[in-house]
Formats: sequence, C-alpha cells, structure tokens
Amino acid sequence: MKVTLERGALLKSLSHVHRVVERRNTIPILSNVLLQAKDGALLLRATDLDLEITESVAADVGQAGATTLPAHTLYDIVRKLPEGGQVSLETAGDSGQLLLRSGRSRFNLQSLPESDFPDLTAADLTHRFSLPAADLKKLIDKTQFAISTEETRYYLNGIFMHTTEVDGHMMLRAVATDGHRLARVELPAPAGAAGMPGVIVPRKAVAEVQKLIEDLSAEVVVEMSTTKARFTFGPVVLTSKLIDGTFPDYTRVIPVGNDKRLTVDCAPFAAAVDRVSTISSERGRAVKLALSEGKLTLSVTNPDSGSATEELEVDYDAAPIDIGFNARYLLDITSQLDSDTALFKLADPGSPTVIQDRDGAAALYVLMPMRV
Amino acid sequence: MPVRRLDPILVDRIAAGEVVERPASAVKELVENALDAGARRVEIVIEQGGRKLIRVVDDGAGMSAADLELAVERHATSKIPDGDLSNIATLGFRGEALPSIASVAHVEIHSRHAESSHGSMIRVEDGRKRPVAPAAHSAGTRIEVRDLFAATPARLKFLKTDRTEAQAVADIIKRLAMAHPQVRFALTGDNLSGLEFSACPQGPEGLLTRISQVLGAEFRDNALEVNAEREGVRLTGFAGLPTYHRANAQAQYFYVNGRPVRDKLLHGALRAAYMDYLPSDRHPALALFVQCDPRIVDVNVHPAKAEVRFRDPGLIRGLIIGALKQTLGEAMHRATTTGGSRTIDTLARRNFGSAPQFGAAPIRPAANWDWRSSPAAPAPFNAGLAEAAQAAFSHMPAADTRAHESAPAPDLLDRPLGAARAQVHDTYILAQTRDGIVLVDQHAAHERLVYERLKREREASGVARQLLLIPIVVDLDSSEVDRVMDNREALADLGLVVESFGPGAVAVSEVPALLKSGDIARLVRDVADTLAENGSATSLERRLDHVLATMACHHSVRAGRRLTGEEMNALLREMEATPGSGQCNHGRPTYVELKLSDVERLFGRK
Ligand SMILES: Nc1ncnc2c1ncn2[C@@H]1O[C@H](COP(=O)(O)OP(=O)(O)OP(=O)(O)O)[C@@H](O)[C@H]1O
Ligand SMILES: [Mg+2]
Repeated sequence: MKVTLERGALLKSLSHVHRVVERRNTIPILSNVLLQAKDGALLLRATDLDLEITESVAADVGQAGATTLPAHTLYDIVRKLPEGGQVSLETAGDSGQLLLRSGRSRFNLQSLPESDFPDLTAADLTHRFSLPAADLKKLIDKTQFAISTEETRYYLNGIFMHTTEVDGHMMLRAVATDGHRLARVELPAPAGAAGMPGVIVPRKAVAEVQKLIEDLSAEVVVEMSTTKARFTFGPVVLTSKLIDGTFPDYTRVIPVGNDKRLTVDCAPFAAAVDRVSTISSERGRAVKLALSEGKLTLSVTNPDSGSATEELEVDYDAAPIDIGFNARYLLDITSQLDSDTALFKLADPGSPTVIQDRDGAAALYVLMPMRV
Repeated sequence: MPVRRLDPILVDRIAAGEVVERPASAVKELVENALDAGARRVEIVIEQGGRKLIRVVDDGAGMSAADLELAVERHATSKIPDGDLSNIATLGFRGEALPSIASVAHVEIHSRHAESSHGSMIRVEDGRKRPVAPAAHSAGTRIEVRDLFAATPARLKFLKTDRTEAQAVADIIKRLAMAHPQVRFALTGDNLSGLEFSACPQGPEGLLTRISQVLGAEFRDNALEVNAEREGVRLTGFAGLPTYHRANAQAQYFYVNGRPVRDKLLHGALRAAYMDYLPSDRHPALALFVQCDPRIVDVNVHPAKAEVRFRDPGLIRGLIIGALKQTLGEAMHRATTTGGSRTIDTLARRNFGSAPQFGAAPIRPAANWDWRSSPAAPAPFNAGLAEAAQAAFSHMPAADTRAHESAPAPDLLDRPLGAARAQVHDTYILAQTRDGIVLVDQHAAHERLVYERLKREREASGVARQLLLIPIVVDLDSSEVDRVMDNREALADLGLVVESFGPGAVAVSEVPALLKSGDIARLVRDVADTLAENGSATSLERRLDHVLATMACHHSVRAGRRLTGEEMNALLREMEATPGSGQCNHGRPTYVELKLSDVERLFGRK
C-alpha cells in the first residue's frame, strides 16, 4: 500500500473515527484503525464491536492495499505534524512495518494485518430514509438528557426511535426515559420511514451521531434493521448495533387527564429555580412549587443552611397545589424547550406532570415529582 | 427388623450428642458447674485437645457422697430451687451435663463437701455407674474425663485437629472468665500456649482488668465504660474505641445474666451502633453484659445454651444501640492513645535505639533555622514538620519565657483540642493544649464534620424521595417479600416505598433521592438480606450514609489547602462540638494527641 494525502484531511477523518476506539483493549486489533487505499481514496475504519465509523477521504493512491495501525498513536502523530503538509503512508514489504512520512518526520509503525479486522458491516438493512441533519439533531438533543445510565434496566440506556400515526399523519418519534422523567420528540416521518421497526439506539452511538452532526451538516441517510442502524453523513458512515430489548410501553405513563395548567416564562422560571436551589446542598436538590391563582412560589428549605423563596407571576387559575421536583430535572427540561414559555399540566403532588412548549408541538416531557 | 426398645446406654449416648458435641462443650459444662458451686479458683488441664483427658479442679462447695450418687444420674440437679424454669439464676439447670458426659467418656469425680470431714469418689465407665467410695480430697471437686467419644467413633470423626479443639477449649475458658473476674482461671495442656487469669477485684475496674487479660493490655487504653439502664434491664461492660478495630468478630463477648451467648440480635445491634465509625469489614472489640430479671429471657432454647430469647427484643436492641452510640459519641474526642504512643514509640526507637545519629534524627531543627527568632505565630506556617514542632515546643510554658509575645488566648488552651499554632505541610494542624500538643488531619477532620452535618440534615428533614415514572419490579422469594412488606413503614421513612407485586416480587414506586440513579433492585435485595439478618434495614441506612460520606469527601477541605489561623481554630472548635468527629469516615483517627509527658519521653527527659 502506498498513499499520500493532506495532513489536514487525514486529521479530520481520524478525529472522527478514533473516538470509537477504547483506550484500553484486551483484543489488540480493536486498538487499531483500518486503512484501505483504492480508487483515489483512503478509507479509515474503527470499531469497538458495537459501533463502527467509516470515513473515506480523497488521496493520491500510489499502490492500492490495506493495513491497520494503532488508532490513538496515529491520531496523536498526525495531530502533531505541522499544518499544511502532506502525509505519505507506505507499507514496507512483508515486515509488518509501515513508514509514515511528512516533511522531515519519519515514523516506522508496527501494523497488524487488515484481514484480522472485524467487519460489522450490516447486510439486510430493511428500511432507508433521509432527513435533514437539523431534524436528526433535534430528535437527539431534546431527548438525550433523559437516557438512563443505570445498567440493570439496560433497555433504557438509549433512545427509542419508531414511527406512529398521529391524527392521520405518520410521525417519527424519539423517546428516552430514566424512570424519573421522560422525553418524547416527534417529527413528520420522512418518506421510507413508515413501518420501520422500533429500535433502541445505544447511548454511545447517540453521542457519536451528535458529534458528527456538529461537524457535518447535510442530509443524513438513516438505515435500519431490527439489529442494526446506520447513519450516513456524506463521507462518514456510522453503524451501530441496537439494544436488544423491549422499550416499555411509554404511552401508558404519559398522563392525559392533567387539568391544572400552568404557563411560565422559561427564562425567569429557570433562573429562579437555579437561584433558590443554591442552598439545597445535596439532598436530592428538591425545590417546592406552591401554586395559587396567578402566583408561583418556589422554595427550598435546608435545615442546616436556611431557606430560600422566590415568587413569580404566572398564568394559573386552577386549585392551589404544592408539589416538589428535582431542581436539576426542571432545569434540564426548561433548557430544552423552544418557545419562551413552558406549559405545565399538573394533577397532584404524587402524579406525573407534563411539560411542553407553548404550542404543545414537537417536544413533550413527563416529570415525576419528589416528596419533600 | 422388629421394633424394639433401645438399650438405655445407647439412648443416653444419642441424647448426649446434643450437649457434648466436642471437648470444648464438655469443658464448658464442667467449668459452669464449678462456677455454680461458688469456686474462686478453677484449673483446667487438657490432653490431645481434650480427647484424651479433661481435668477440672475447683475449690467450690463440693458434693457429699449422696450428692455424688445422684449427680451423674439424668435430670438430677441441685439447682432450680423452686422448680421454676422461668426463674433461672445459675448456669446449670437441667441436670443433664454430667450424665451426658459420662455416657460418652470415662468419668471420675473426687469431691468433698465443705462441711463434711472426708471426701468421696465415684467412677462411671462405659456408661455404667460404680458405687461411691470414700476418698481423700481437699474441699472442692475434681472431675476427670478420659477418652471422650471413644465409644462413639462416628462423633470422633467429626472432631478437628487436636490443636483446633484445644483452641476451642481456650476460647470457652476466655468467654467464661470474662464473666467472672473474681475467679482465678488457669488452663494448661498440650497443643496450647496456656492461659492464666489471676483473680481481679469486684466492680468495673476488676472487669476491665479481666477483659484486658483476655484481649490484651492495649484494650485498657482504648476501652469505654458502658453503663446504661432501661426498664429494669442493665447494660454494663466495656466497648473498644472504633479505632481499635479488628478484622473479625472474635473479640466480641456478650453475656446475658452471666451466661455467654452468641446471638444475632446482639450482633446486629452492635453493628448498627458502630455503623458510623467503622467500615463494614472491620469489627469492634468489646464485652457487654445484659443483666435482667431472669423471667424476661428464655435461656432454655438451645441445647448448649448458646442462644437466648428475649421477651422484648426491641427493648434490648434499643438499649444496646442507644448506650453504645452515646458512649461512642461522647468519647470521640479521645484520640486513640495507641495512635499517640505508637508515634512516640517509633520516634523513640529511631532516635535512641542506637547511638544518636544527627543526620538521621527525625526531629532535629533544620540547619538554617534559628530558634531564637521564631515567633511561631498562629498564622499559616509554611515550614517543615521539624521546625513547626520545635516552634510549638518553644512555646511550652516552661521552655520559653517569651511565650507571652504570641501566646494564644488562654481560654483556647483549655479547650480539648487547644489553640491552633501552625499548619504543617498544608495538611496538618498543630495545636497546643495545656498539657500537650494535638495534630489534626485537616481533610479527614473536615470530611467528618461535613458528613455529620449532612446526616443531621437528613434526620431533621427526612429522606427526600423521588417518585418513579415506571415502577421497578424486584423478584424476591416469598419469605423475603413478607419481610420487606412487614417493614414497609420503616423503609418508607428511609425513602424506599414498596408495594407488593404478587407472591414473588415487590414493586418499588419511590426511592431515596440520593440513591435515585443507583441499582435499585440490588438495594432492595440487600435490604431484604439485612432484614433477615438483624431485623432492621441497616443496609439501606448504610447506603444512604455512604452517599453522604462520598459527598462529604467532595465538599471538604483537601490536604494541601492553606488555612488561616482563624480557619484552623474554627475547625478545632467545630470538631469539639460535633460528636463523632474524632474519627474520619473510614475509622481512622482525625487527630492524635501527644501529652507533654510523651514529648518528654521522646527527649529522654523521663
Ligand atoms: N464442680 C461441682 N461442684 C459442686 N457440685 C457439682 C459440681 N458439678 C456438678 N455438681 C452437682 O451435680 C449436679 C449435676 O450437675 P449437671 O451439670 O449434670 O447438672 P446441672 O448443672 O444441675 O444442670 P445442667 O445440665 O444444666 O448443667 C449439679 O446440680 C450440682 O449439684
Ligand atoms: Mg451443669
């Protein structure tokens, strides 16, 4: 194999793929990135066996071929090479050595044979659709914070994506919950999505997709089967295994009869929650919301450091109610809302509360109260 | 095969298995008899772990010829005077021990009743009683048991090595000796290093002496006297400081009305009381005595009398936890003296063990340090330990007449932890008291203070609970489900709300907010386990405390942070005001005190 390409282009691709590689690996080949030169491009691929990222970058291919190199080392080398240079990679016969040259720098790197590199590539992806990167970003950004990190209920460790019909329109939904709160975001389903299997995209894949969207804004092609999902962002392809489990029937925990409606201005509300919770020390960071007509009183009591209260004028005319929430959770949710007002639908201090944008559109959140 | 009556000798052997399962249990019965007979001296000799020979000699009341005749018969006893099993004040009460032993060994008893002029003896061989014969003997009783289990090879097979059996005998003697400080005990034999506990005076001082004979002299310096009473039940004894911990629970001695017992209830209470001060894999050393009306405790529930049953277990548990917590709380200002004197010992050894080597002496002043110009102000003092130590010494009243220049307010000197004089290595606070110096580990101390504060907060406002959107179903076996459901209310107080979910599971609907992101199913299973073990949810409390401790660790001043004089004094004062602050959350001391006399020893002045 002999290939030459721009240092900048190589660095960018490596920065995408090397993140997948775990720092500590018991299987040596998994520490490596696969390099494949052919047809005027260099293809890079890394995997942790659950997740694989492939990227192809234009290159001057002197001799087609393939090998693998330690991913983090290669990334660090290329990162430290001077900007604007060319990098050439050349395998040296059967020795297993690879010569990397750039300007006056020369590195002899030990490679591992490409034939050992695992192939995660999925055949039979049954469903295929494309959507604007901004839409995918919205689905992920607004639900990701609610993903559970607790491992016994592993089926909550990802975002559940599926399609469903709402009022005669086919919608694409993303749902995440950690058992305390739930986030649900929906968009009109892109062509080809209808009938796709409901899939749980694991947290790590979600985080990588999120980072790739930041870098590469374009259309994203999504492909699915019951076991794998693939996201194609132009030259970058991310393939992930899915969580093999059943997402709970979340529709049952979204209350429909909550009749106490509260409308608040997001920014002042969040600022007030943040202020009063300053003294809540660590005990679960509970903040109490006391609602009466036109008025919301936020309060936190900490027997050791004192108490804090703050009043807000709000739009509320139902019966008075006192209800406690985790301050962090309230802030997480209000920061996700698009409109400048938030609509709370409450029932009682022991039941789930629904929080939505003013227009009640794309995003819906369910939050379980605290007893304090 | 036709049904037939068992040979009475065989019947006795079968029954004996319940009372005498190994040499140590025979020894226990014999020594208990001696104690019941009012002995002041008990001497025990064993050979081959007690298999070949057990000899117990006492100077107690002794037996007449007629007593001897009866003593080896089943159900013959001189105890339970009024025939009331619910009112037992002696160790023996069944009239079972001697005949049981006699049915599985050769037994020879020599005895003389205190009031009779001559002694008698009796022999039982192969389960057959020989006639009583006159024999010379001084007042008291001597019993020899030979070839234990020779006729029951099956039981013999279950015995461990002679060494292990001898160890078990020694253990029994220790247990009995603790409860009878005024009695002299001596145990000798092969496979054994021998025990000798001389008679101790009556009262707490005598008891402490006896416990120290058994557990080692260091116990005395680390012991706290326990003395409490609730509804007519008395708890006395000595509890070891948490810093004096052990790797196993061997050094824990419990007595109910003078009877050694091993009891889950008692051990559970003990664990709960020490919970705050000890990591879960360390164990305190202690000897506790419950004294109560014999009618509220049933001692007749275990063949070897090792277990008892209280009519009101909650009362006993509450008494023990309450008394221990209070004693420990009050004592936490006493840094373990082993810490202080151990330091002195190491220093002293290094210094004086060989000819003085100035190059290696750990407390020599730095070469460029001028003791005359050191003000040793209570401000932060960025100097090596050597200088700081010297600085502090230079202010001891007798050592330096200029002390008044920067002398701290005298009232601070009178405080238990004294006046802060310097911070060394940005890690330790050096404080001066009237009669010594105190070295405080600032991180460990502050961590403990934060922990105690968080706990107070929890107690004051209850445990905040997060309600669950999706209940967590936890599979348990049916008895576990019952246990968890029986304790629903106590668990809810700790923030865990459960509902029953069929015979084999519970559903959790609310969890302590502090633990909301943890593995709740495992928590519930652990809780079910501790409920089975000691009837309370210590594992949940411990888990909560652990979270508090971790938070405390993150919120406390680290080693390496420079503190001002005010900050240091404030820390010392808060430590004094906070029970339990003498220990960090991991059971290590937060400070060490050196008395002036220790320091003087260090300099070879004394
Ligand atoms: N060392 C001794 N000194 C004086 N009397 C003794 C001694 N050992 C035994 N006896 C007498 O022999 C009796 C029988 O002893 P044994 O141990 O068999 O029964 P116990 O002590 O009454 O009851 P238990 O079976 O509960 O021990 C005792 O009640 C006691 O009167
Ligand atoms: Mg007896």
